[in-house]
Amino acid sequence: MVIEWFHPGLIYIFGAFLIPVLKGKRRLKQAYLLLLPVIAFINLLLMSKGVLLSEGKTWFLSFLGYELTLGRIDRLSMVFAYVFVIASFCMILYAIHIKENWQHVAAFLYVGSTLGVVFAGDLFTLFFFWEIMAWASLFLIWYRKTKAAYGAGFRYIMVHSFGGVCLLAGVLIHLQNGGSIAFDSFTWGIGSEYLGAYLIFLAFIINAAVPPLGAWLADAYPEASVTGAVFLTAFTTKSAIYVLIRGFPGVEVLIWLGAIMAVYGVIFAVLENDIRRLLAYHIISQVGYMVCGVGMGVFGTAAGEMAINGSAAHAFCHILYKAVLFMGMGAIIEVTGRSKLTELGGIYKYMPITFWLYMIGAFSISGFPLFNGFVSKTMIVTASGMWNYAFIWLMLEGASIGTFLHTGLKLPWGAWFARKEPVCEAREPPKNMLAAMGITAFLCTLLGVYPKILYDILPYPVDYVPYAAGHVVAMSQLLLFTFVAFWLLRGMLHGTPTISLDTDWFYRIPGKWLIRFCEGPLMAFANYIDRNVMKMAGFFVWVSKNPFAALRIKGREVRLKVEKPVATSERAAEYDRDLEAVKKRQPAEEPMVRLNIGTAMLLVLLFIALYLIAMLIHGWLIR
Amino acid sequence: MLYVSLFVGVLAGILAQLFLHLHPHFWWEKIPVFSAIYGFIGCIVIIIASKALGHYWLQKEEDYYEKH
Repeated sequence: MVIEWFHPGLIYIFGAFLIPVLKGKRRLKQAYLLLLPVIAFINLLLMSKGVLLSEGKTWFLSFLGYELTLGRIDRLSMVFAYVFVIASFCMILYAIHIKENWQHVAAFLYVGSTLGVVFAGDLFTLFFFWEIMAWASLFLIWYRKTKAAYGAGFRYIMVHSFGGVCLLAGVLIHLQNGGSIAFDSFTWGIGSEYLGAYLIFLAFIINAAVPPLGAWLADAYPEASVTGAVFLTAFTTKSAIYVLIRGFPGVEVLIWLGAIMAVYGVIFAVLENDIRRLLAYHIISQVGYMVCGVGMGVFGTAAGEMAINGSAAHAFCHILYKAVLFMGMGAIIEVTGRSKLTELGGIYKYMPITFWLYMIGAFSISGFPLFNGFVSKTMIVTASGMWNYAFIWLMLEGASIGTFLHTGLKLPWGAWFARKEPVCEAREPPKNMLAAMGITAFLCTLLGVYPKILYDILPYPVDYVPYAAGHVVAMSQLLLFTFVAFWLLRGMLHGTPTISLDTDWFYRIPGKWLIRFCEGPLMAFANYIDRNVMKMAGFFVWVSKNPFAALRIKGREVRLKVEKPVATSERAAEYDRDLEAVKKRQPAEEPMVRLNIGTAMLLVLLFIALYLIAMLIHGWLIR
Repeated sequence: MLYVSLFVGVLAGILAQLFLHLHPHFWWEKIPVFSAIYGFIGCIVIIIASKALGHYWLQKEEDYYEKH
């Protein structure tokens, strides 16, 4: 049989399980790790050339009476698949020296399940891969093996489990309301009939880290392992952009959420001292541009197509330059063991190559002409101009200023310069890390210089010239004068040994209160109930050993208790003594009363008669 | 070096404004060297506003979550 199509995600998922088998054979394992993304890339090329299915739906599976579609291939899924596969190659190269096989397995499952999401043509398949994605990525955080990483990982998975439940509930409600299992754009409006779509939307924007639901990102990513964090930057948020483009293009609320997000990330980045947390806030900021673009992506309009193209292109470019940035900061952590700006500085002379490769990423994210951020970010900004959203335009341009300020100026200046004497010894990271940074940085520049490669694979035909004189001049001025302001105020931009409160406060602090409430008052209450139930059970056992004697004993006890208060004082002592004696009496030790069979029958009949009367009354009442 | 590039940047902006046919979407894009002004002022505003927000509200000591 000729294979018409093979799922690129499954190359990673099935491939992952061979990794532990190659234990001990270091070179072979490394070659194998790099081979898998190459095979996946060849697979994609064969698809684009039409050798394998290049457009349409395939790989159907029937499940619970629904027809699942594992392969839905079109221009949109292809552009995301390309960047995920290309980025995964660079990231695996960066991580190839890692000896822990299971960390590689987690990374491969993570990449593979993201591709599963990208090619999912129905909502159940989407949910299935969505969950694998969340759990696989969790291990990339836990592999840092620090207490902070364990805590952040738990919070991460709790947020994503909540998102997963929202997605599943949304899908089920959507189906219940007569919606289709196919994963296409949802009808959107106001009213309870859209509840399913709302829940799915909620799940998507949790993964896209839209505030106030996005604190998990800046909480967890900086705690992940050095190599794991590089993977994390790419897949979860960008697959969320993909599903938003698929499901909710042109939903207006996304425009505002996205623009707020872009500025929000910038503000928090000013306050940040942890080098990777600063970059994590810039993921939020950059994903804000894409979310904004999805919101402007109304079908069938020129501005809408520009916006969708912009979001897809920016996701593509963002994955590459953000990987370079995280690789650069990861390299610092790898060689110095330090991750705070207050503990870094002056180490440029030890690692100039890392610095310059990092700066290519920084120029790209800032949108310098000739770097890839410029050719994609400006598409979204231009779309906001075409729609005449004045305020959105100003917010997005303002976020560009902040982006250059932090990732292009404050962070490299604080980490590599800022002090005359180096704070510690450092060196260049291992060669594979440098090579990975080099390749990714090269791709950033390539797309910046020759954007046609990217524009040709975007979902809609591109009618946009990035290197128009107006764009180039405006962007250069913006960045140049940002630099001037930075240089004047650089004294204010030293790191401070602080953390910033984000919306994760709402589950971290009240969460602790909840645990304290459970451990304190709630436990005391539970113990109280427990104790009394046990006491009652003991009493029933005591009675049932000899009910007649028990009745007699209790009767005697009650009589003594009732008589005691009216007795004279000298008799009172006697009563107390009698009560003591009564309490010691055990029914089991008293003589048994045995009923003859007639009495027993009488009791049974009496019981049945009572039951009959109860039934009659019940029947009469309900009539 | 810095002053030269600043000068070139501003000059290029003014020249582009005068001689090229640009396609502004908003009125403020017609102001000469608007981007330079926006970049400069925007940067200062971002730094000062964020620092103020952090100082008076968001920034806490590093063991905040352990203590509370």
